[in-house]
Amino acid sequence: MTETLILEVRDIHKSYPGVQALAGVSLSLNAGEVRGLLGKNGAGKSTLIKILSGATRQDSGQILVGGQPVHIHSPADAFTVGIGTVYQEMSLIPGLTIAENVLLGRWPLAARVGTIKVIDRRETLRATLEALEMMGADLQPNTLVNDLSVPERQIVEIAKALSFKPKILILDEPTSSLPQAEVARLLKLVRQLAANGVAIIYVSHRLQEVPLVTDSISVLREGVLIGTIPVSESSPEVIARMMIGDTWKKTQTRTLSDTQPDIALEVDNLHVKGYLHGVSLKLHQGEVVGIAGLLGSGRTELLHAIFGLHPFQHGTITVNGEKIAHPTPTLMLAKGVGLTPEDRKLKGLVLPLTIEDNLTMSSMDRISTRQVVSPARRRTLAEKMITALAIKTASMTNEARSLSGGNQQKVVIGKWLNAGVRVLLMDEPTRGIDIQAKDQVYTLVRQLAAEGVAIIFVSSELEEVLEVADRILILNQGQIRAELPGAQAHLENVLALAMKKDWE
Amino acid sequence: MTELSGAAPVAPSQADSTTPRAGRRSWPHQVIGFLSRSGLLLSLILLIVVLTIFAPNFLTSRNLLNVIRQVSFVGIIACGMTMAMIAADVDLSVGSMVAFASALLGVSHVNLALPLWLAVLVTLAVGTTLGLAAGWLRVRWNIPALIVTLAFLISFRGLAFILTNAFPIMIADDAFEFWGKGEVLGVPVPAIIFVVVVISFMFISTRTVYGRSVYAVGGNAEAARLSGIPVDRIRIMILVTTFFLSALTGVLLSSRLSSANASIAVGMEFDVIAAVLIGGTSLFGGKGSILGTVLGVLFIGLLGNGMVLLDVNTYLQDVARGGIILLAVLLGALQEQRKQATTS
Repeated sequence: MTETLILEVRDIHKSYPGVQALAGVSLSLNAGEVRGLLGKNGAGKSTLIKILSGATRQDSGQILVGGQPVHIHSPADAFTVGIGTVYQEMSLIPGLTIAENVLLGRWPLAARVGTIKVIDRRETLRATLEALEMMGADLQPNTLVNDLSVPERQIVEIAKALSFKPKILILDEPTSSLPQAEVARLLKLVRQLAANGVAIIYVSHRLQEVPLVTDSISVLREGVLIGTIPVSESSPEVIARMMIGDTWKKTQTRTLSDTQPDIALEVDNLHVKGYLHGVSLKLHQGEVVGIAGLLGSGRTELLHAIFGLHPFQHGTITVNGEKIAHPTPTLMLAKGVGLTPEDRKLKGLVLPLTIEDNLTMSSMDRISTRQVVSPARRRTLAEKMITALAIKTASMTNEARSLSGGNQQKVVIGKWLNAGVRVLLMDEPTRGIDIQAKDQVYTLVRQLAAEGVAIIFVSSELEEVLEVADRILILNQGQIRAELPGAQAHLENVLALAMKKDWE
Repeated sequence: MTELSGAAPVAPSQADSTTPRAGRRSWPHQVIGFLSRSGLLLSLILLIVVLTIFAPNFLTSRNLLNVIRQVSFVGIIACGMTMAMIAADVDLSVGSMVAFASALLGVSHVNLALPLWLAVLVTLAVGTTLGLAAGWLRVRWNIPALIVTLAFLISFRGLAFILTNAFPIMIADDAFEFWGKGEVLGVPVPAIIFVVVVISFMFISTRTVYGRSVYAVGGNAEAARLSGIPVDRIRIMILVTTFFLSALTGVLLSSRLSSANASIAVGMEFDVIAAVLIGGTSLFGGKGSILGTVLGVLFIGLLGNGMVLLDVNTYLQDVARGGIILLAVLLGALQEQRKQATTS
């Protein structure tokens, strides 16, 4: 294939109040090329994508499509010049049908009476079917998006971008909500689109899948393009170095104690309809137990059942020797059990409240006398935790939303520690935070364990389960299938057990 | 590949995610689906049966036509309110706008001696322009429509009283009275206007770019904006619509009463919002239908009429109406819960 330059970005600058998001980024892309775009959170990836997709405008710099300078002032402009974007966040309207969503905002017209534009529904359906068939998806265009599952919605999202017949397609974390079968299909589809001459910018946090699908990789750091390398020259070490500046070393500092401490949490024969079929586990004080399981293995439901967020049919839950018949979050908190939810922003924090408020939210009795809060005690309590967890913030009276992902997670954890929690259930604590912040979370988890806190650590990234856990339980199809001491667990081994289909 | 979250589907909900979906959503299917899901039609039929048996003179054409005339004023505005609530906005000012329109009509016809047809046009034009102003305030400063229209609710009731000096202004004109009191083949004229408005809004909400954009804005405003939908213009249009319909209703009510009156339609916004809610439109936007609203309007109207015929205490009637609203919203919440239980 002859290489034809399709997209050129020249010296793009963009700053937000107080932040230089992009400081002179230039890159070019050939037709039919798949380019991985990598970088930590805040490196400028999303800003670049927002500029290309018309969600925001650059302060200076040029964009050329097919050699022609283009001005992208709005999302509509981006479509027109041939740049289609699939967003990380679901951008579908639940109350509209698949077809109406795919052609959202540019519905074909059947008639026009004065200012009233009537939608051509047959054409809408036809164009949608075409886009869905391009993906080999078997969905009825007339179905309400409200009635679709998450992977189905993701498919609609991509069909929407494809319906523009874009020259350049930007995929922003396209696989973050897809099960494996769909991921494989998506990667195949990306290659197929590239073979048809579409240039693709592929953004993903999942470093593993990037080499599978891309031709080349560009890395951004602090608003600057660090470099672009062909995928053949890339390796996790090379990419990690480009992303964080120096070599990222895996630290495996684990001290296994020989004495068996007291059991902090015991789950016996837990049944949750549709998810768990007799799960038993023991968690000791100062121990980190990692749960390795695929999406849908029941790992979130296990934590939710323990914390009283999901009803269970059979089984017993025992905390520090006391049987809890009907767990509720309030009761579990009183017993010293806390949960850091998967969706940190939605369920873990109250974003518009201050860091101080968030840190002390679950420990009102410690900062109040007869229902009246003492500001001084609140401040002291929050300050202590900010120091203990090294939460990076200019002031604790800043809103929680002003923090980076890693620091937000620390606030969630700090909130529970303030509440006197001795058992911590952590659901995907590093989701969506960058490598350095992840490291800080691992260190914190180990530090808490050393102080005697018992932790269940659930993550879809196997490496980190291996990194932090003393013991690893393999959850597969609603049952614990194997138990491995952390020191003996290997990636391949654990993955094989987690993915194994037929037991017995 | 060591990434786990993206691995093979295990849960049943994912296993069947790629199976083809049956049931095309053609138009009649949607209507039937809506009716069977809402249960509102069933409740309405039940109500009619009960009232037919127990309420004297309920099932007479005279009584039913009377009910339809009564509900048409609320119903006309409810169509616009449905669009507003689907877009996750709301217009609280409708009752005050009706009164203000009535007052303005009386003043411009009687005090300013404009010919009646011109006074009507002026009233409708002023109402629409005020909607434009409210919409502009709403989007320019991103003030919730609830607050903008709350301010209008308070101010324009006051302005209506100032205009009329708090006295009704008689408007004596036979041709004008036709619009509020007249009948065509025995059907009250306001009812005919209501039906025309309903059909127009059904079409607008389901078949036009504007209508579908309203759903998009209410469902996910940011996604709509990124898709090139002019979110601000749509939000302005929504208030223009409710204000216009309020002005129109103000004119019709003045005709019905043969006078301009600043004290009419007090609390009408609650009747309108109640009808829309009972009709299944979500207060959080993105969901709802004109058909549901029509059923909601009829339900409230027939219930009120039945209670009058049955000689129910006036205050008890209010209690019952409030209870019905709670019940309707409760049923909607239950359905949502059941749906989530089956899809998760």
